Amino acid sequence: MTDRVRALLAKEFADLRRNPGVFIPAILTSLVALALPFFVAVVVPVLTGEHLSDSSDFKTASEMFKSLPWTRMLDPEAAVQALIFQQFLVLLVVGPVAASMSTAAYSVIGEKQARTLEPLLATPVATVELLAAKVLGSFLPALLLTLTVFGLLLAGAATFARPGVYLALLTPQSLAIVFIAGPLAALAALQMAVCVSSRANDARGAQQIGALIVLPITGLLVAEVSGSIVLTVSLTMAISVGLVVLNVALLWLGVALFDRESVLTRWK
Amino acid sequence: MTQTAPILAARDLVKFFGRRLAVDRVSIDLHRGETFALVGPNGAGKTTTLRMLAGLIAATTGHLELEGRPVSARSATRLRRMVGLLTESPGLWDRLSVQQNLMTYARLYGLAQPARAVDAALERFGLRDRAGDDAAQLSKGLRQRVALARTLLHDPVIVLLDEPTSGLDPESARGVRELVRQLQTEDRAVVVCTHNLDEVERLATRVGVLRTRLLAIDTPQALRARLFGTRVRVVLDGDAAPFAAILRSGGITDVRADGSSLSVVPNGATATPDLVRMLVEAGARVESVVPDTPSLEDVYLRVLDGGGGS
Repeated sequence: MTDRVRALLAKEFADLRRNPGVFIPAILTSLVALALPFFVAVVVPVLTGEHLSDSSDFKTASEMFKSLPWTRMLDPEAAVQALIFQQFLVLLVVGPVAASMSTAAYSVIGEKQARTLEPLLATPVATVELLAAKVLGSFLPALLLTLTVFGLLLAGAATFARPGVYLALLTPQSLAIVFIAGPLAALAALQMAVCVSSRANDARGAQQIGALIVLPITGLLVAEVSGSIVLTVSLTMAISVGLVVLNVALLWLGVALFDRESVLTRWK
Repeated sequence: MTQTAPILAARDLVKFFGRRLAVDRVSIDLHRGETFALVGPNGAGKTTTLRMLAGLIAATTGHLELEGRPVSARSATRLRRMVGLLTESPGLWDRLSVQQNLMTYARLYGLAQPARAVDAALERFGLRDRAGDDAAQLSKGLRQRVALARTLLHDPVIVLLDEPTSGLDPESARGVRELVRQLQTEDRAVVVCTHNLDEVERLATRVGVLRTRLLAIDTPQALRARLFGTRVRVVLDGDAAPFAAILRSGGITDVRADGSSLSVVPNGATATPDLVRMLVEAGARVESVVPDTPSLEDVYLRVLDGGGGS
């Protein structure tokens, strides 16, 4: 990371500290993502007085889940709880990022609207440095929030779920989602949002288009919850490799799309 | 005028935005120690020219030369290191303090000791007691002062100022003008884009009148002489009209009488002392003889009217 990226990042974080309200959507999304698996796996059985493992809806899934090496020691109810916690993991990982999308989408056009972009571009800062700082300025707080929420999820699972369920969240599969695929997907999504921000004609357009970027992530979540795909370790790693390639391509695309002249002379 | 090689030279800069011609074949040499004023009506291409000089946007055709070497897309970064650009709007990050604003730029310019540079800037611009204030809390004059501090933070040899006193109160505007004078003595090349011709009069060593293309470029004195000639004003004790006729009959063609004063362009055969002698011999009582200097506004309007080419 260059000194100039660090300088811009410090500025981004100082700005965020003065405007903590922008974190509210991300924090709310994270809290919802955190509460949902507990509600489904812990609260609902308590309220209804029925075990989830008795439900035919979960029978096949729990048997499949119990066959996995790191969860075969769980009892049927714990296996269902572990399955639910794992399925909500994707939401937990991408939730804060989705909420940060509007911040990323606003990042470049916001500078232009505040008339701070021209003096910034008059410095020796390179386009790639500017874009990197903008992406990281949204990504790092979202990542920090994700990891915090993951820690809370672990602690909550250890406290409220059946014994051993939290171990299902420490499997290679879960850790690959939380620490590799999730952050890479987040980075790609935020890069796309910043690309949009550097090409949109106004802030509203940038935010609306930025919101569309969440759709593929939502699709992945739906596919996983519905059982259409199972995020195994190998699939997660394959997706991660694809995301690395995508991130490199997006960085190149972002630099190519960022037209200094256009952002200085055409935006109002 | 200084005889040194230009530090920055624009060679036939042309800029199109789509099909609209914004700047047409503008050539300017900027030397250290001079203040060059770029004046022109709204939409004349002043800001576009300034942005091209700053390496912010590329010319459609034409090029810049920095210390005699052409500026390419690759070397534009070097140009940006040597240029301080004050944009039309101060462009401060409102939620950051004055110190944080300046520190960010000190680091972006890669200064070896950014904290020391910021400290020096705060001192120079009288901002020390406002260093911790958010930029949003500052008055317009103070914001402009911070923007100027930012512009000079990296000690640029080329300083480009876009409307530096626009919207400022007289006291703040005077402060900015004093700073520009100081920059001139610091051996920097300064370009000021402005509508304020009084400011140009006070600051500029050279002036360029731009309306898409440079209509005129010279020192204010030379432009006056070229457009209006070297006039003298002779104040008489009594009506001046009869003596205007006497001067005309004596071969001086450009004579204007206004009440008790005459505005005359002496010609090659009749220098000012001869002119005075003619008037005295004709019985005029001469009270004073002074150079008759047209205002820069007159010069500007005459140029825009098509009265003066480069």
